[in-house]
Amino acid sequence: MRRAILLLAPSLAVLIGIFAIPVLLLFVVSFWSVKSFRLQPDFSLAAWHRFFTVYGDLTLYTLAVGLAVGLFCTLLGFVFAYAARFKAGRFGDLLLVATLITLFGGYLVKIYAWKSILGADGLLNQALMGIGLTSQPLAFLIYSRGAVIIALVHFLLPFAILPIYASLRNVSETTIEAARDLGASASQVLMRVIVPQCLSGLFSAFAFCFLLAAGDYVTPMLLGGTSGSMLGQFVLLEFSTNFNWPAGSAMSFGLLFVCLLVIGALAAAGSRLMRRGEGAAS
Amino acid sequence: MIWRLVIALFLLFMLGPILLVVLFSFGSNALIGFPMGGLTLDWYTKLAQDTGFHSAFWASFIVALATATLATITGTCAALALTKAAPKLVRSALAALSLPVLLPPLVVAIAIVVLFVRGLGLGLGLPVVILGHILVAQPFVILIVMARLARFDQATVDAARDLGATHWQAFRLVTLPQIASALIGAALVSAAISLDDFIIASFTIGGGNTISTFVWGKMRTTLDPSINAIATILLVLTVGLSALALRVSKYKG
Repeated sequence: MRRAILLLAPSLAVLIGIFAIPVLLLFVVSFWSVKSFRLQPDFSLAAWHRFFTVYGDLTLYTLAVGLAVGLFCTLLGFVFAYAARFKAGRFGDLLLVATLITLFGGYLVKIYAWKSILGADGLLNQALMGIGLTSQPLAFLIYSRGAVIIALVHFLLPFAILPIYASLRNVSETTIEAARDLGASASQVLMRVIVPQCLSGLFSAFAFCFLLAAGDYVTPMLLGGTSGSMLGQFVLLEFSTNFNWPAGSAMSFGLLFVCLLVIGALAAAGSRLMRRGEGAAS
Repeated sequence: MIWRLVIALFLLFMLGPILLVVLFSFGSNALIGFPMGGLTLDWYTKLAQDTGFHSAFWASFIVALATATLATITGTCAALALTKAAPKLVRSALAALSLPVLLPPLVVAIAIVVLFVRGLGLGLGLPVVILGHILVAQPFVILIVMARLARFDQATVDAARDLGATHWQAFRLVTLPQIASALIGAALVSAAISLDDFIIASFTIGGGNTISTFVWGKMRTTLDPSINAIATILLVLTVGLSALALRVSKYKG
């Protein structure tokens, strides 16, 4: 037991010193005040008030982008993981490798690539003009919410595929064949045999992509323009340009709490749905 | 048949944009767009002479090396402790240690800055970047090493202990050689995570650049054509390390 504690000590020290304490301190700072660019310990709700009044709408937009990215990633991730697990045969492993190697590679490069594809003189516009679909470059391809969503889905998709694939690996072919032998249609097999068995994978994929998408600021900064801005950019603005650390802190935690509420509500709704489904089946 | 098309489309979507950047880093035309011009290595030779890139490269090298070494140590220790622990403790410890990866990196980065600048009155710099990277890399080390330890024959360690080996001797002579490939894989993944991180580095570095923040500078300010070449270098480093890690550790999900 003592050895276990000793062995856990280094990683826990990093977790507590570089994460738990700083995050708690950041939360405390959201109640501090700023007077002539100087941060002062205080118990003020000004920063939180600013979050709800000034940034309320932007928070909702940010959540909408996060939800869209989370849903697309989960759906596409399921299709890809399903293909890799059941349809790709011996290429399944290769598909997984393609997913894994892009996991930790090229966050900035991916965003930059989309800028080059969607830009006014980018590849997509060149192609569309080349085949004569449009005579002018389409300006709305970049600097819009759509561009932000596409780039975020591209970046986060591997993170969605892995947990879904892991849970699909536990779905055995035997139960699928049994369902088929008993006369289930393809869609019944999918919805009543496969999906219920990988719900936890689907849920963690969604929660992760939703959280990271809602908290991103780099993608909207490069691809969002004015119509696609997200809250993270303004956290950065309050923090570095305005030196208003309390506001930046309240916005970070505000967004985080709202995101956790959304995830919690979805989890509750999902488990209720599951229970009702079980009730109907029995 | 239709599934082949679906898979092809997925691979095009996932890998296509990245491959475009690589392709155009060898084109003589400055920007991404057709025609790409003749093949050239000009952008790479230009980078080789850029002192700003040199210092960014070495900063990234130091940070990645330190992160890989230290995160592999902290993560492996934790994995060793957790393989023998009660399942309930394992779940809560893993959840706690993974928390930094689940929060937006922006929040983690800002929190670290607040602690070091306001809380401790210390400056920022490469040591702070390294600490931040250890924080996000160690959960992945734990996962990889625990996956290896799950297939590990504990009897060999027990035999060594029965024959009079100390804990440390048993670890160094019996456990370590068997899990070495997983440790190398975990270290490579940690290095890839460190090299790829932009957000934590940009907040905590204070002055100077890593490769990521150097790329960001080019992305934001100029239409510098050498950006395709730097992006390609960054990509080759991170993806290459990940691929190598997969091969070495035979890790599968």
